[in-house]
Amino acid sequence: MQRGNIFDYKNYLYFKLAVVMILLAFAAFMLFEPAVGHYGGSWIGYGLGVISAVMVLWMAWYGVRKRRYRSAGTTQGWLSAHIYLGTALTVIVTLHSGFHFGFNIHTLAYGLLLVVVVSGFFGNYTYMIYPRQMTENMGEDSLDGLLLRIAEADKLARQIALLMPDDINDIVTHACRSTFIGVGLLEQLRGFQPNCPSALAVQKLTTMGNHLSTDQRKLHRELYSIMVRRQSLVKRARQDLMYRSRLGFWLYFHVPFAVALLVAMTAHIIAVFFYW
Amino acid sequence: MIHCLLIKITTNSRNLPVRSYHTLTAEELTFGRGAECTVHLPDPRIAMHHAVIKRMNDGQLHLVSINGELEVDEAIQQTIALTQGQQIMIGPYQLTIEAAPPDVDIAASLTLVQRLPDDFQDLKSRTHDPLPNSSSFKRKLSAWMAGLIAVIFLALPLAQNFIPQLRAAMTDLPFGFDRVWSPGQFSNAHLHFSSQCINCHQSPTSRVADKACIKCHTDTAPHVADKSLQVRAFKTARLSSGGMRCAQCHREHKAPYPLVRQDNGMCIKCHGNIKAVNPNTALPNIHDFDKDHPGFKLTFKTNAEKTQFDRIPQTDKARLVEKSGLKFPHSQHVGLVQGPGGMWDVHELACTSCHRQEGKELRFKQLSFKRDCQSCHAKELDIGPPDAKLHLPHGEEDSVFNALKVYAPKQLLEYSETLKSDDGCGYCHDIVAAKKGDKLPWRVAPVGINQDWFSKAHFNHASHRTQKCQSCHQVDHSDTSADVAMPDRKSCLLCHSGNNPKYKRITSSCMSCHDFHNSHAKLLTGEVNATEDAALDIVKAPQK
Repeated sequence: MQRGNIFDYKNYLYFKLAVVMILLAFAAFMLFEPAVGHYGGSWIGYGLGVISAVMVLWMAWYGVRKRRYRSAGTTQGWLSAHIYLGTALTVIVTLHSGFHFGFNIHTLAYGLLLVVVVSGFFGNYTYMIYPRQMTENMGEDSLDGLLLRIAEADKLARQIALLMPDDINDIVTHACRSTFIGVGLLEQLRGFQPNCPSALAVQKLTTMGNHLSTDQRKLHRELYSIMVRRQSLVKRARQDLMYRSRLGFWLYFHVPFAVALLVAMTAHIIAVFFYW
Repeated sequence: MIHCLLIKITTNSRNLPVRSYHTLTAEELTFGRGAECTVHLPDPRIAMHHAVIKRMNDGQLHLVSINGELEVDEAIQQTIALTQGQQIMIGPYQLTIEAAPPDVDIAASLTLVQRLPDDFQDLKSRTHDPLPNSSSFKRKLSAWMAGLIAVIFLALPLAQNFIPQLRAAMTDLPFGFDRVWSPGQFSNAHLHFSSQCINCHQSPTSRVADKACIKCHTDTAPHVADKSLQVRAFKTARLSSGGMRCAQCHREHKAPYPLVRQDNGMCIKCHGNIKAVNPNTALPNIHDFDKDHPGFKLTFKTNAEKTQFDRIPQTDKARLVEKSGLKFPHSQHVGLVQGPGGMWDVHELACTSCHRQEGKELRFKQLSFKRDCQSCHAKELDIGPPDAKLHLPHGEEDSVFNALKVYAPKQLLEYSETLKSDDGCGYCHDIVAAKKGDKLPWRVAPVGINQDWFSKAHFNHASHRTQKCQSCHQVDHSDTSADVAMPDRKSCLLCHSGNNPKYKRITSSCMSCHDFHNSHAKLLTGEVNATEDAALDIVKAPQK
């Protein structure tokens, strides 16, 4: 277990704080039930709502805070609090709603909050899982290093293929020139190219060595081993891009939905007090 | 045999063209990647045996494709007749037919015009960064979502409020822009005008005022009969909002929950410490029916016209005397009783034989001699000796005395006394002395059976139809009609509890028995019209 990470920051300080907040909110929810059932406009509802609104603003401020070098507290501490208190916030907001949902601004704001929190959970998960897998995948290599080795393999494979029959040469040339690494968002996230020419080349080369001359057979074996090595390099490069894109992809939801949440929350508060 | 001068044009280190001359003599000149080809072209884009120059039957030299493609002016051709000045693309190479010296058949120059790109740079161009343009994408998505939400959920509803023309134009639409603000479903009663929030939310940033409610609910009665007390009570009921509003009890946007609050909180706010509202009140403090609700008071009508009332606590047994004007022992009218036919005519009487139910709340019809008594009791009184019997029908005293005057004027006094006794009218009726100036010597006391004992509460017999009558009204051993057989609070508490449920006892709130608005209606003689009286605090403008 890695020590001193965002989860056990200061001996789980913010985890404990979040648990206490959730327990307090639940206790208040249980003890002070309004006569007409729980809803956002009861005193307990207003209380939970004010706490939630302040917490949302504070969570959003993290986005500003982390871009600053000088501020109170460490960024690690802020992130730890951001994660744990954000989870507590979800519970408090749900209690604030009193479990009343409908097609309106209030439920929209709640839904946006859920998207933000769930995407945050996914982000959390990616940062727990992927960095280790990235290291396992890349070892000491960098992506450029991998590309360089693929390019060398390309060159070597093409030189050997010059001496091979046309069909083999075509396949190798096609594999070298039509292999894309992480082109398109979907390919990046999935980590592979559908009908990848490199994989096809390896697959086809196994069945194409039958009617070759003795010299060519030797070359074919060499070519095949180069292409297999090359394919594994391509795969690793794609995996690396996959991890890196997945590490950032959740922010496609987390950030825009957080902005939308701030607007929806403003509309929610204005609506509530405009038609009091 | 073809004699060919092939000029290979390459570039040197300073990127200048270098021409090298080769003379080739062969039957056919083959071009290809293969080492056995006459012109060896080591490029992966060239086929092993790409093309061949050969002499056709007419003696002309042609370039013929074998496995590769030949292009002239970007058009793929299979066979090309070679003429001077022609430029042909063999894969990435350009073959230019030049002027042939006298001792050769053809002269051609060959240049690699489309070099293979650098492998690494080429691969880099086919490798994209993770999540390209993510910042601008996130910015755009944020802006769009924020903008849409701001317009639909904030700007349009506000515009509808602040632009009267827009509001007027939208009046008849099934939904207004501000409908997206509605926090919950409407009750069925208010659904028909719920399309326009402004019907109830008449002034922005203020709570819904009572004037919005009494636009329709014009006959709502005040809670307290004394108007000045009503004003005083409900201003102190809630200090924060400056006065009690309809909406504090009637909560809209909560369907399918009931529109009216079902709890006791609001009631207890005043009745829990009633002296704070009215120091002169005789009412006790009440929090819970189970705990500190006082014993019931029964309403007795105290004057002959039944317009004056007295409310007597059930504990005051001495005063609990029903003055119905009848002598009716319940004990003799329950179970198996003899009818007029003697022992051969036995009837089983139930409560409902006389107390006939009516209406969905199962209230009771007024008792009537004709319907409820006559089936067993004779409708005529026989009076006098057996040979001169008079048959006097049941009816008004005046008619009876008139009959006596006509048929037995001599025995009038005697018969009058008989009728007065328990052998006559006095058998069932109380007899009262005649007033001064009355032409009759006595009269039958007016019959008035109390119909409404609990005038400040409502009781629904229909809700209690699973119970036996005797479980609340113990009349089996009642020998006189002066007995009052109304259940007391303790007997209610056998099945009912207070604010909280108890084992085998039903939760009963204030509203289970009492009405807020009409709590005194049954006792009030004059009608009170709440809406016309601003002093009742109902039409008062809300305070912030």
